[in-house]
Amino acid sequence: MMHNITQTGNTNSPAYYIWISILLACIVLAGYALVMSLLINMEIFEFSLKIPWAMLVSNYVFFVGSSIGLCIVSSLGYVFGMKRYEPIGRRGVFLAIITIIFGMSSIGFHLGHPERAMIYSLLTPNIRSAMWWMTTLYSFYIVFIVMGYWFLARVELTKIANSSTGIKQRIYSLMVLGKRDESHESVKKDHKKSQIVGALALISGLLALLMEGAVFGHTEARALWYGSYYPVYFLFSSASCGYAWLLIATIITYKVKKEEISGKLKNLIFEMAKIFALLLCVGLLFTSYKLSSGLLDPIKSKSIMLLLKGPFSLPFYLFEIAIGTVFPIFILLYSAKKEKIGGVLTASIMVLVGVFVMRYDFVVVGGVYPLFSPMGRDISVLLPSFFPALMEIYIVGGIIAACLLAYTLGVKYLPLKEESH
Amino acid sequence: MRNHKGITRRQFLGSLAVASAGLSLGDTALAEEEPKRYAKLHDSTKCIGCKRCMSACKRWNKLKVDRFEELTDRETDLTGHTWVVVNLTRDIKNGEDLSYLHWACQHCQKPACAGACPVKAIRKMPEGPVVIDEKKCIGCRYCYQSCPYKVPRFDFGKRITRKCTMCYDRIPIVKPACVAGCPVGALDFGLRKDVLLQAKKRVETVGGYLLGEYEAGGTDFLTILKTKPEDIGLVVAPKKVVSEDLDKIRITSSGFLGAGVLVGLMYIYSRTGEGE
Repeated sequence: MMHNITQTGNTNSPAYYIWISILLACIVLAGYALVMSLLINMEIFEFSLKIPWAMLVSNYVFFVGSSIGLCIVSSLGYVFGMKRYEPIGRRGVFLAIITIIFGMSSIGFHLGHPERAMIYSLLTPNIRSAMWWMTTLYSFYIVFIVMGYWFLARVELTKIANSSTGIKQRIYSLMVLGKRDESHESVKKDHKKSQIVGALALISGLLALLMEGAVFGHTEARALWYGSYYPVYFLFSSASCGYAWLLIATIITYKVKKEEISGKLKNLIFEMAKIFALLLCVGLLFTSYKLSSGLLDPIKSKSIMLLLKGPFSLPFYLFEIAIGTVFPIFILLYSAKKEKIGGVLTASIMVLVGVFVMRYDFVVVGGVYPLFSPMGRDISVLLPSFFPALMEIYIVGGIIAACLLAYTLGVKYLPLKEESH
Repeated sequence: MRNHKGITRRQFLGSLAVASAGLSLGDTALAEEEPKRYAKLHDSTKCIGCKRCMSACKRWNKLKVDRFEELTDRETDLTGHTWVVVNLTRDIKNGEDLSYLHWACQHCQKPACAGACPVKAIRKMPEGPVVIDEKKCIGCRYCYQSCPYKVPRFDFGKRITRKCTMCYDRIPIVKPACVAGCPVGALDFGLRKDVLLQAKKRVETVGGYLLGEYEAGGTDFLTILKTKPEDIGLVVAPKKVVSEDLDKIRITSSGFLGAGVLVGLMYIYSRTGEGE
């Protein structure tokens, strides 16, 4: 698929249409799975009745974490005032919007009654529940991040509206809510407002993410999740996800459009690569802490052993450790030193793949122990497979495709590059 | 003058202190002395594994019957439409020692599931049952994850989580369906304090283990086991309230600390190399 992106141009080339068709096909498959779940039974989403939180939840954790990570990275530019980070600010915020929206749709498909969730979260909130805090804070985050993008992109959108005619002009005018002031004063005002809204988005996003960690951390009944580890780990792990997403999106977009990456942006990419490698090292420290502290705990050690020497050992060593952390650190440092863009791109893709698998492991392994087994039988006997169901894969594939489609359309129709600053 | 019939100032202040101490103990003390708290008792030393409790539960609660599930000795698991199971357990140390175990929601006195539900669809009734409001449940399955016994199961047809309700629509006038259906008296129901007393006596006689007196902070479903729960491969909750609010606050606050450190690092990073 990545090969396809590199083939697609900004002009409507055949490769572009092929790319769009592939994405649409994936979305249709997801739609099929969704309709079947409504017609037959929701059970087709679940590979085992004993693990009710599986790929849809892990996909949600992945996407939503990525969104907050993107918000963290892009806010370095427009909230903390780092001029170097401004070229990727708007792209980062746009990616943050689409990842949170599609992440939320993942949990929407997982819920039995998403419509009730919206109603009763307002009518009978349970403030003792981390899940309520998480959903509420994410709702605020979505509002702030969308407002943030609007303030960052309003002038550019106005320029497009002013230079176009007909229906296109109407749509863009609607997007800027009729505020078509292009003066220097209004640009300054927008900048100030984007800073305030961005700060609010960052605060609500970080709080929501730590609450998401707390959803897992509060469950004393699930040894692997329980404790202070995940609320903290999620924050740092998501920041590295944000770097990965932004590096991939920026590099691929420039390659596809066959545009020259400016010296400023190149420097930024290599600086980001170094920070990214540092964050991965921090992640490695977190992982070693998880393993060492977990092995010392008699209850936790059972789930840790599932990772180290059980059905999850291959994903753990291959994806979480090798592909997701260790190799990318070396590739990133090497590429940053030798100034090789391709290396940074490869490492970022590896990290995203690794994190995606790792989130799945974390959700499933955590949910497995302790298991009630009256005959004292082993977990591997009771559960035939840990591999996700086909329909589950369709849904997740559709969500990823929808996210990529939204980005492709965003690149085509929305201002994501930073030119005016 | 000093021999008046009313209370002295010292006595009044003392009683105030006692009253405030009682209030500060919170509802834990009150819950234990709840006069109308009922409990269900299962005596695994008497159970013959006929699974009549399972069928009585299904009949009363109008639940779907699975093929073969009521065959004796067939291992069954709780599902959205099987709220009670009876399984044959084997003592791991002494392989010959077999007994039947009736397993269902333990009806914790301080249920972790009620604290986890984001929309307050789960409530603990003063009589004892922990009940899920099926019209309110959003189907997130967080109650399942927070339950130390993995009891609330997802009903894929109705798209909600369901579990044993201790027949809250029958008690206390009529016994729960499973108790009424038991032919050998392996199940009993009554006021918790009476049931507890009876169970303790029985445990002393048979030399077994009483599950539910302290596990998960005390449950309103008590089980008399022949041996320790670990010996029959049963994973039990710690002898304390699971997922207490104070513990949740402790864990969340570490997240706040992490977020603070992250923002601080971002600030420090943002001040580097800008002049170049």
